[in-house]
Amino acid sequence: MSAQEAAAKVRSAIDRLKASDLRSRPLVEVLDLSHEMADAMNAFFGSLDKSVVGEFRYIADFIQQTRNEIADLQPNEIRNNRIPGASVELDAVVKDTETATSIIMTEAEALMAIEPEDLDAYKDRVDGAMMRIIEACAFQDLTGQRVTKVVATLRHIEGRVSQFAETLGVKDAKTEETEDERRRRELMLNGPAIGGPASSQDDIDALFN
Amino acid sequence: MSVDLSMPVLVVDDYKTMIRIIRNLLTQLGFKNIEEASDGKMALDKLRSSKFGLVISDWNMEPMTGYELLREVRADEKLKTTPFIMVTAESKTENVIAAKKAGVNNYIVKPFNAATLKGKLVAVLGEF
Repeated sequence: MSAQEAAAKVRSAIDRLKASDLRSRPLVEVLDLSHEMADAMNAFFGSLDKSVVGEFRYIADFIQQTRNEIADLQPNEIRNNRIPGASVELDAVVKDTETATSIIMTEAEALMAIEPEDLDAYKDRVDGAMMRIIEACAFQDLTGQRVTKVVATLRHIEGRVSQFAETLGVKDAKTEETEDERRRRELMLNGPAIGGPASSQDDIDALFN
Repeated sequence: MSVDLSMPVLVVDDYKTMIRIIRNLLTQLGFKNIEEASDGKMALDKLRSSKFGLVISDWNMEPMTGYELLREVRADEKLKTTPFIMVTAESKTENVIAAKKAGVNNYIVKPFNAATLKGKLVAVLGEF
């Protein structure tokens, strides 16, 4: 029963009560009218309860769906395993490249410092240094594999987050620029460009000539 | 007038490998007195405590960048004429123009080779 219907029934019952002489009415009739009003009120509040329950059920279903989506996102697995794992791999990449670079540069510096008086001894030292440089270049295989694992992790996270956002229809909120972002923008800290320098050395030289 | 190869040169970079590369190249070119700093703040302290004939600085460092170091050097009465070369991976035109406006003497984009470094040193200091 809608609110309008319930109100109309109650109004009608009250009008009939007002119109009648209560003293001359039998008590049974008055009780009937009261029952009619009570039924109308009951029907109205019953329908009200049903619509509220429906709203709450919709909200509960939405919360459950969101919880399911977040569970599919596997945030704990990403936080506890994937991100720390990627971080460890990148640390290892930095360390491996640093170690290899240090070996290569040390050998190159040692070669430049040699006085080639004894040619046989000089050749032995050059051969030895070159072999150590070649060995050090093995870092590229290991770092390549590590970086591949990190890229796979990033792709996994990207896929999950995209799916989550798409399912829930999430749109990016406008955010305030952080202090660090402002500093990086003002000081033009962009880092190396992908695919080579944004301006070539020749272009830069032209600005100075 | 030829360049005094014994003049102190300050190399500023937060990557030890890059400092080592520049140090080796400068040594090959005959420079004998090379000092290093790992960011702009450390470099500024060194510049204010002793005289340097040249600064070769990276841009992207913390807590003080090479760009901030350049502006500090040019704003300092005692340091403002010190030759300053930026060696950096920041290769956008806006960076180069900003550095030029701030008074950089030359600008090298990473990665670079020995010939490029020598060419810029000659352009800034003269033949050696």
